[in-house]
Amino acid sequence: MPADVRQVSVDIGGTHIRMLKGGAGAPLVILHGTEGCQGWLRYAQALAEQFTVYVPSHPGFDGSERPAWLNTIPDLVCFYTWFLETQGLEGVPAIGFSLGGWLAAEIVATTHHAFSKLMLVDAAGIKPQVDEITDLFILSPAQITQLTFHDPQQAPEYDMLYGGTRTPAHQENAIKNREMAVRLTWKPYMHDPRLPSLLARVHIPTCIVWGRQDHIIPVECGELYRQAIPGAELVVLDNCGHMPQVEQPEAFVRLARQFLG
Amino acid sequence: MFLMRFTERAYVNYTAEDVKNSPNSAVRLTFSNRHFDPQLGADLYNEYLDEYEYCEEAGFDGLMLNEHHNTPTCLGATMNLEAAILARTTKKPKIVLLGNPLPIFDNPVRLAEELAEIDMISRGRLVSGFVRGTGVESLATNTNPLYNRERFEEAHDLVIKTWTTPGPFRWEGEHYHFRVVNPFETPLQKPHPPIWIPGTGSPETLEWCAEHHYPFVFLETDPESTVDMKGIYADKAREHGYEPGPEHFGYLLRIHVQDTDAYAKEVGKGYLVGNVGVGRLPMPNDYMFPVGYSGRDPKYLQLRERIRSDPFRVGGLDAAGYEAILEANRMIIGSPDTVIRKLREVLARVRPGILAVWTNDGSISHKDSLRCLQLMGQEVLPALHDMGKELELTDPFQKTP
Repeated sequence: MPADVRQVSVDIGGTHIRMLKGGAGAPLVILHGTEGCQGWLRYAQALAEQFTVYVPSHPGFDGSERPAWLNTIPDLVCFYTWFLETQGLEGVPAIGFSLGGWLAAEIVATTHHAFSKLMLVDAAGIKPQVDEITDLFILSPAQITQLTFHDPQQAPEYDMLYGGTRTPAHQENAIKNREMAVRLTWKPYMHDPRLPSLLARVHIPTCIVWGRQDHIIPVECGELYRQAIPGAELVVLDNCGHMPQVEQPEAFVRLARQFLG
Repeated sequence: MFLMRFTERAYVNYTAEDVKNSPNSAVRLTFSNRHFDPQLGADLYNEYLDEYEYCEEAGFDGLMLNEHHNTPTCLGATMNLEAAILARTTKKPKIVLLGNPLPIFDNPVRLAEELAEIDMISRGRLVSGFVRGTGVESLATNTNPLYNRERFEEAHDLVIKTWTTPGPFRWEGEHYHFRVVNPFETPLQKPHPPIWIPGTGSPETLEWCAEHHYPFVFLETDPESTVDMKGIYADKAREHGYEPGPEHFGYLLRIHVQDTDAYAKEVGKGYLVGNVGVGRLPMPNDYMFPVGYSGRDPKYLQLRERIRSDPFRVGGLDAAGYEAILEANRMIIGSPDTVIRKLREVLARVRPGILAVWTNDGSISHKDSLRCLQLMGQEVLPALHDMGKELELTDPFQKTP
């Protein structure tokens, strides 16, 4: 982790969550997926050249505390609107990956002043009409990793993230992250039936990014998001799976810079 | 000693190859029901009920049933239906349900009603066991495994209150909400039917049982680890001011008897060869123990270390090899004399007041099963009842737990 990136603890109404913060410039909030924040990755470092990047670990993930009342995605929306308010981060741009994309979409469907611009990346939240969202909870972590990437060879951080043996602490963290994902997304699985209707309310610039070979959340969900959010654009990356920011970090960062300006 | 008969009521008309070629090579949850033939199912349900009815004549004290979902290893997908039939077609043996998987019920009040009806129809012969259910039960019913223990405990409290507190009352819990709890039918046994809990011995459940004075029935656990697990129960019982006896413990074993050792040994292989589901093919960990299902409380993780590990733990009992299993008395198979002799060693060590006799499963034929039950009745059960007296293995009906 570069020297100017800091791990901080943030107190939101008595709940302490962990957050990575680094870079310089206007703020940018990043909301992670079911795997947790995964540390300060290449894409974050690249964006930090232009932005002050905030990567909070959601309550219950990566050692962040979970208040007893927080069990659902709407609960998480309440938590994050509180977070944005107390951290002075309202009205800044945001990127949401997968579960974090769903969260970001719910936030902007709930309040108009949370974010100025939104980038949704292979986001959960909308039920596909043709295919299905892969059931992560009956698969082993190894099976999930395999489905996550189209071509691991092109992901420069793949070995660092998934290769080698895991320490007991790392394994424990992964189990707890999976438990929190189960808590938040069990039923209806990984989607909110209300969301497409509520997204009609969104009036901020929105860019939807999807890996064409996403085997976790099918690319048709990207199209459904595009239809639901007025004026949204959809960019589909070829030869890319569920995590463009890790599998094609350069292409992803280029898109993000273009969109976020 | 209380002697009850058990079988998983397996569906056996499929091959190991079928299972290997199924999603995740799993015999439960995702093994397609296109392998099921209802014609054969109709025969099997009736044969299994015939066997249970014959157990009354053979002299068993109880008829034990269990429940699993999405699996050919156990046809008891709605065990209470079988129990209701036996409530009517038998007169004397207890009907022992081990058990209803509480967390998967969204309406525990309905369950309380069903069990009350069974108790009345059987004229007070119901033993109502409860379980958390394997992970497969959670997945098959889309019940969040993270809330499994919370739902188990809350559903239990609600069922007990429904049985013991005159209605109407309101229930605004964490997982269950009812505006008017007032089922008109209440159980015949007062304050409520006995409750026994089967399991493989998670420390959380052992302590919970000890707090509630519920007998714990160990399912095919290693005798040495069983002694350790009884210690965990006993420590908690002492905190609650009592010393547990044999009436607080049960033990399940596969026990098969035929006229000769040689023939019994031949037939007994059917436990392993005919039912690929009971452990012979590995099940994905994420099916049996999905994320969130297992407790992670450090206190209990530490208690788990008190339990000696089962020498047959890796791959399950069935993978250990037939000879090794017999040698270690983990299945008791032979002529009546052999079975009685071997059981004495096990019972003296484990000291259960309840013995669950898993008489047949897998490819063991209906004919061989009936002969087994007949020999049990003629020779084994009387000897075991005597042995129970001699070893002072008091059961929960002789001494209230």
